[in-house]
Amino acid sequence: MPVSGQRSKVIVMAIRWPLLVRRTHKWLALLVGVQALLWTLTGLYMVVVHIDTIHGDHLVRAPVVEPFDLSGGLAPPSRIVAAASGASEIRLQRLFDRTVWRAETPDGPQLFDARSGVLLPALTAPQIREQARRIYTGDGKIVSVRLLTSAPQEMQSRKPPYWQVEFAGWNRPTLYLSPTTGELVSRRHALWRVFDFAWMLHIMDYDERTDVNNTLLRVATWSTFAMSLMGAWLLFWSFKRRKRKTA
Amino acid sequence: MKRIRLTPLFFRRIHKWVGLILGLQFLLWALSGSVMALLDKDKVGGHDAGVSHAHALPEGEYFDVAALPRGDKVTGLLLRDLGARPVYELSTSKGTRLVDAISGEDIRVDDEMARNVAAMMNEAPIRKVSLLAKPNLESRDHAGAMWRIDFRDGENSSAYVSLDTARFLVMRGDTWRTWDFFWMLHNMDYVNRKSFNHPLIIFVAFGVLWLSGTGFYLLFKSFSRTDFRWLRRRRKTVTQTALEN
Repeated sequence: MPVSGQRSKVIVMAIRWPLLVRRTHKWLALLVGVQALLWTLTGLYMVVVHIDTIHGDHLVRAPVVEPFDLSGGLAPPSRIVAAASGASEIRLQRLFDRTVWRAETPDGPQLFDARSGVLLPALTAPQIREQARRIYTGDGKIVSVRLLTSAPQEMQSRKPPYWQVEFAGWNRPTLYLSPTTGELVSRRHALWRVFDFAWMLHIMDYDERTDVNNTLLRVATWSTFAMSLMGAWLLFWSFKRRKRKTA
Repeated sequence: MKRIRLTPLFFRRIHKWVGLILGLQFLLWALSGSVMALLDKDKVGGHDAGVSHAHALPEGEYFDVAALPRGDKVTGLLLRDLGARPVYELSTSKGTRLVDAISGEDIRVDDEMARNVAAMMNEAPIRKVSLLAKPNLESRDHAGAMWRIDFRDGENSSAYVSLDTARFLVMRGDTWRTWDFFWMLHNMDYVNRKSFNHPLIIFVAFGVLWLSGTGFYLLFKSFSRTDFRWLRRRRKTVTQTALEN
């Protein structure tokens, strides 16, 4: 009879709830298991190695703050503004031991001699070497110095050109310096590179490593949430059952 | 003492017990991760406050820089444009001073100036302006006293403007606020919401690795051939129908 058959089916399903949840937990785990493992592994790495170390703060010296002498002899700002067309900001700073005006222009930063107001040429390779030596805190040798016009993978977020100065050492410290001002653009080292790779695995954006809203990640995260919710539900069941067995 | 044997049952027990003790945090990580993946990162924003509307400095005479120090040691000097009027930003041992770059008069960043700076970043009407002596949770990446300008818009946006320099610091909205709550659940820094390198999270992350590790191992023990029978059965019916045709 169809009616009673229907009813017994409902009863059977009600009894099998834990089984159904356990199965779904299992199948969802099959779907996201590798990713869940990767999340915990990469997460552990990211919490264990301090973010300041990742950023490479220990690789570079903080610039020495020495007072500027404004009392006379400086080229007036008006001359720099006239020379650096479209400049939105000019500031005093130092290049090696010389005081310079730095102008932020639409074509990038430019340096002017602070006394004569003359535009300074781009830094030469030996100057970049010396500048990198001054900034770097370690004592490893410089392995390579190259002027890059296209961004390498590890500098995707910064617009070239910049000098890449690589030092010897297990973590391959690399400084990136501005060709026109010699300023530190960024620094990279092995732990940063591992972090970047871990971050890629964590947010599942294997191309740009920046899109935290990609569909793959959204599906994986909500599936994992469902899996863990069912796991939590199963806890009550698992511990209750064991208690009954031992009793 | 009972000898520990590395049987599937043993790993199942680890999975269960770690799940009992640390499972809630795994659940919260999954939930907060899901929500953060769902919230549009452009609406969350706030990660790059460096974008501001910088105008070109006007050509012409500027106030003599030699008259700026007034006896203080100058550690930094810059000239920039503040909403169509050029200003000097002078850093001395006594702090930062903002000076009108034409007249040489000191500039106090009052609420009207803060409004103007904020209005450059958001066109919505301003609801409220308040002065903060130190950063709050929303402006925690910046230091010093600052103005907070609240807007009447869909996001309930708030702009933060530095009291010393009149620089725009950051814009926060409701999407960011939601995101930040879940980011707190994710990084487990319930007070400052900032650090993810503290002992608690390191301990829990290490523990949860056992949850996911044993779980992954158990996948190999939990599935049998019969679990995949439906796959074969379907393939068979497909070939059968193919034969019948």
